[in-house]
Amino acid sequence: MNASGAQGWKKLAMGFASHAGFLAVLLATWEWAARMGLLDPTFFGNPAGIISFLWANFVQGTHLWIELGWSVMSTLLAFISGSLAAVLTGLIFVIFPRLERFLDPYFSALNALPRIALAPLFILWFGLGIGSKIAMGFTLTFFIVLSSTVAGMRGINQDHIVLTDTLGASPRQKFFLVTLPGAIPVIFSGLRLGLIYALLGVIAGEILAAEHGLGQQLAYLASTFNMNGVMALLVVLAWLGMAATSGMTRLERHLLRWQ
Amino acid sequence: MRSIDLPLTGNVVAQQAAIEIRDLTLSFTAGTPTIDRVSLTVPHGQFLSIVGPSGCGKTTMLNLLAGLIHVPHSGTVRIQGREPRLGDHGIAYMLARDSLLPWRTALENAAYGMEVRGVAAERRRERARDLLVRVGLGGFEKSYPKQLSHGMRQRCALARTFALDSPILLMDEPFGALDAQTKLQLEELLVDLWQEERRTVVFITHDLGEAIAISDRVVVMGARPGRIVTDVEIPIKRPRSVRELQKDHVYHELYAHIWEMLEQGYKK
Repeated sequence: MNASGAQGWKKLAMGFASHAGFLAVLLATWEWAARMGLLDPTFFGNPAGIISFLWANFVQGTHLWIELGWSVMSTLLAFISGSLAAVLTGLIFVIFPRLERFLDPYFSALNALPRIALAPLFILWFGLGIGSKIAMGFTLTFFIVLSSTVAGMRGINQDHIVLTDTLGASPRQKFFLVTLPGAIPVIFSGLRLGLIYALLGVIAGEILAAEHGLGQQLAYLASTFNMNGVMALLVVLAWLGMAATSGMTRLERHLLRWQ
Repeated sequence: MRSIDLPLTGNVVAQQAAIEIRDLTLSFTAGTPTIDRVSLTVPHGQFLSIVGPSGCGKTTMLNLLAGLIHVPHSGTVRIQGREPRLGDHGIAYMLARDSLLPWRTALENAAYGMEVRGVAAERRRERARDLLVRVGLGGFEKSYPKQLSHGMRQRCALARTFALDSPILLMDEPFGALDAQTKLQLEELLVDLWQEERRTVVFITHDLGEAIAISDRVVVMGARPGRIVTDVEIPIKRPRSVRELQKDHVYHELYAHIWEMLEQGYKK
């Protein structure tokens, strides 16, 4: 958009208008079908109801902001703890490849296990508070970031290692000057996925059993047949996931501007 | 041509050579040795090129000097009187590929060697900037490697190598991957840098013309087994210009002469 600013803006406005038009047609059809009795609002809700639910809970009331805050905080905690643990474990694996070979079958089994099956256990261990859903998010994030960390550190350009060795670098220097920065692009693709999975784990944990969070609200609204509420929360969750992805992309573009 | 040094007078022993290889024999597998009874003495400040076909053991020898490989061998190898050791600060090593770190700017790459070796930040920045200007990359300090051409990247690698104050430079076909024009420019640059700050250089190449143009002495090796076929002093005076040499008849005569010896060596 830098070369032809006006043209660029025009294109953007056109794109925006066409999406707005498409959504307007879609929502109008939905609303019309609901009113005509073609689409049962008991199961599908209706756009007017969804919008008024969002208005009531996000604009007039602050109730859902607080639930959103619980989910976001849990996701961030799960993501940060899971990624840190994964990067550290990956580092240990790269330093001690024999340990990795030994632990491989156990890690493979844990990774293959449908993680959601751990939820009942986590609820018993960590209760209905923030602990069990963080644990869910953690287990999902951990394995994704771990495999990308190991792959990234194994894939370091050997020329860089040879050069650094001939310069007489200490293992510490070699790690911080070559291995870590060289692995960051691959680790980052793991982190991007890890954040989405942390959100997945947290929401799943909340749906199963929790005191707070969007997932808990979603389960509650569904069980009371508040379809407009369910649909509204799905919109919020989609937006949250997209915000997370675009935030990671932006961070990546800044940190990896040399690529 | 020089013969193998014999441990003769006290004089010779006192004037310790930069690099001393004596009766080196080395093989990776049983059978024909990769390097067979090679002896080579490189005095301080000499620019030596080792030329030879692939498989003659020239890179192996360089890696042995740099301490990069550990293979059982007979004979002795000494660098400034010491056993070769990986990370020796007396040595600056340059690879065939530029091996610039892609996440560092040209300036940070030029300063990389000094950074690893603990040169103070202020001094290394100053020295790296000075060298970037000398290799013709003034104004590109903040560029990342992917923004630079092949030749510019190898210039940056030269800056990184010369920024170190190591008295010995080991270079493994640093210009092997460049096109003819760029290669000529970089040879010229290397000769200029070296003429300004003399070091002992061991330069590996498979290009005889390049070796004659830039070196004080050319050692030609043959393959299987890796042996010294011929060892010639290059009587072209310094300072030289690689570009000017291309039309110098002495240069061409030397080239023809060494080439002849080389062919005789291969026939044996």
